[in-house]
Amino acid sequence: MSEPVIELRGISKRFPGVQALDNVSFDVREGEVHALLGENGAGKSTLIKILTGAYQADGGQIFLRGKPVTIPDTRHGLKLGIAAIYQELSLYPDLSVAENIFMGHHPSLRGGLVNWRQMEQRARAILHELDADDLDVSRPVRGLSVGNQQRVEIAKALSHDARILIMDEPTAALTKHDVDQLFAIVRRLRERGVAVVYITHRLEEVFLLADRVTVLRDGRVVGETLDVSKTSQAELIRMMVGRTLDTLFPKTPAQPGEVVLEVRNLCYGRTTRKVNFILRQGEIVGLAGLVGAGRSELAQVIFGVTPAESGEIRVNGRPVSIRSPREAMALGIAYVPEDRKNQGLLLRMNVRENTALAVLRQLLRYGFIDYAAEDRLAKEYVEQLQIRTPSLLQQVVNLSGGNQQKVVLAKWLATKPKVLILDEPTRGIDVGAKAEIHRLMNALAQQGMAILMISSELPEILGMSDRVLVMRQGTIVAELDRAQATQEAVVAAAMGADELHMTLVASTSLNP
Amino acid sequence: MTARTPTLSPARHVRVLRTQEGVLFIILLVIIVVLSLLSDRFLTANNLLNQTRLLTETALLALPMTLIIIGGGIDLSVGSTLAWSAVMLGFSWQLLGLPLPLAVLVCLLTGLLGGAVNGYLIAYVRVPPLIATLATLAIYRGFSFGISQARSARGFPEEFAFWGQGQIGPFPTQFVVLVVLIVAAHLLLSRTGFGRWVYAIGNNEVAARYSGIPVERVKFTLYALSGLMAGLAAFIFTSRVTTTRADAATGLELDVIAAVVLGGTSIFGGSGSVVGTMLGLAIITLLRNGLLLTGVKGDATFMVIGVVLIIAVLINDLVRKR
Repeated sequence: MSEPVIELRGISKRFPGVQALDNVSFDVREGEVHALLGENGAGKSTLIKILTGAYQADGGQIFLRGKPVTIPDTRHGLKLGIAAIYQELSLYPDLSVAENIFMGHHPSLRGGLVNWRQMEQRARAILHELDADDLDVSRPVRGLSVGNQQRVEIAKALSHDARILIMDEPTAALTKHDVDQLFAIVRRLRERGVAVVYITHRLEEVFLLADRVTVLRDGRVVGETLDVSKTSQAELIRMMVGRTLDTLFPKTPAQPGEVVLEVRNLCYGRTTRKVNFILRQGEIVGLAGLVGAGRSELAQVIFGVTPAESGEIRVNGRPVSIRSPREAMALGIAYVPEDRKNQGLLLRMNVRENTALAVLRQLLRYGFIDYAAEDRLAKEYVEQLQIRTPSLLQQVVNLSGGNQQKVVLAKWLATKPKVLILDEPTRGIDVGAKAEIHRLMNALAQQGMAILMISSELPEILGMSDRVLVMRQGTIVAELDRAQATQEAVVAAAMGADELHMTLVASTSLNP
Repeated sequence: MTARTPTLSPARHVRVLRTQEGVLFIILLVIIVVLSLLSDRFLTANNLLNQTRLLTETALLALPMTLIIIGGGIDLSVGSTLAWSAVMLGFSWQLLGLPLPLAVLVCLLTGLLGGAVNGYLIAYVRVPPLIATLATLAIYRGFSFGISQARSARGFPEEFAFWGQGQIGPFPTQFVVLVVLIVAAHLLLSRTGFGRWVYAIGNNEVAARYSGIPVERVKFTLYALSGLMAGLAAFIFTSRVTTTRADAATGLELDVIAAVVLGGTSIFGGSGSVVGTMLGLAIITLLRNGLLLTGVKGDATFMVIGVVLIIAVLINDLVRKR
């Protein structure tokens, strides 16, 4: 067994109001993939930021090949061979692949000019090692697929001769095909002796890829680092949440009532083409399909973001026209968007302001905000949804992903909607918060709300839906009831018959 | 929020001083102390009251500008709008022979029209604010010169001077008007639903729209309001200098924006306050006045103000990071 390349001993880090890391020890060896697991807010991000030098620990020590080191900033970290690839890629879209790879340390000619020939040659060489010869290094990064952009990021890390590579949820936005390629790259790096720290929410990836696994919870290491071959998904989940999840999808069957929403021949551009479906009171309808099938686009047509060009929408049997989100809201429709940071939240504003945003009009007295009423409203939803925040005045940017999602939900539940459209309601949030959101969806449906749930996670679709609609190329190609909705049936419909040899982009993770 | 803590505990005192407004307030005090040591003519009621006369027009424009910048926009046309409105006042009174109150109404409506055009272009045609108002900056200035034919109107009756030169008690008339509008703007921004919407739009326009906020209407209203205030400033300006000239208020927009930014409003939108802007404006005005009184030449004054602007922004940054 090889020596650790890097070792953290007793690392602690405090932020105002929260102990992010508490006496954490962690090491990575040459040529291993070390998975780091934990719910959002468990301290993973803080840990990797200390590793890269973005944060400084309050206590504890870092050893690089047995020698104590300090890493004052990320530039220094890079020099020591520590590189990180974050969930949100940090490329310059208008610069070329080669320029991005050598950003900040390009080979130069005498006089300081960029040595373009050498730069592109070296970029090609690095990409060749990654088995990505098909990437044109002189092309701008804009327009590359997410998978290819990620390869550029990896190449960038390797251009610094990184010996320790940290990957933060690298597969979150990838298609199945790209995931396979990424795994191949990670394995290749491991063979070359690179130490990889791999952060993920998808437990199956741990078993496919990692050698060892460490679980963090509330800023502490749970138990000790384990060999992946000696553990199980169930054990890891238990370690992550600190309790056993009796069932991941606590589905209670619906008693569907009246038709609330009816959509007929709805069209918008090329993304929404003659869509027909109905939604009843008290049922959860899953909307499945491949990425790009037009599911979010359909939701945005119904919600009035991109108003329909033709077709009909009926609410409670009455034909309506929806030209803006405001009009949709007035009709009792709510939409929790997929991109919560850009479409759902005012990140720099606080929990109270975010929660009250959609119903602000109801909290006004002669145009002035009734702060007491606003406070009551926010408190009510923070309690109901168990939003974990130090106070109502906390900026939402400081909350974990799961709690941010709950704030968006709170904002929409406050409007007392009849129809709730959820777009990837649990993407990128941890197992515990996920189960809470699923339970909440059940409770809401029981109270008579009609829920349309868009999801790319097949287990979620199958586990939560009373009915499943499958979209392909902008239209609904299949409707399956709960009994008919099997993995195979949904995939077949989403793919179309000739594409069946591929698998659904949805991950089948967390299926206990 | 502050309303619920009627008494200030010592700890809270310190916290208040650490806010942006607190820092600006301290800077303002330091400037006042230093300048009063340098010149005995500076810290006199007469001088200070006279300064409020001079800063009112800039302040009137800075109020809506604060809201606009918090909402993620900018209005470069305010100086030109002021000139155009002033020219319309003189033109409709002297050449068209309208009664003076009606001419003042024309002046206000001209400002409102100028602002509404900006608002329409920005909110509904979706021209970026910087470009839209840069264009109308040129166009409205062109109107001023075209309509006035480079002649100035003068000879206003004596009672007209009340608004720009008169007094209410010991205070200059326009200062009283200004204080009322400062309070109104502060309440509008910090206490009303409209104000919350402005912050929301500046924070994240897409999320604001998705939350049912009438983004277009809010933006339109802001620019229209800015125009109306330029009309009001034009009226007070004309009354103060008793003449309407097409080149009035050239470059005034820069003073206005400097005051807003110095006041801690983020140029990227989403945060800021009316109180901050007024402190910023007070700093600029008193510094300029005090330096002149101590015999510093006009050109040097500009440089000092530039340096203060940068220092204040740096201090603010420091405070925010802690």
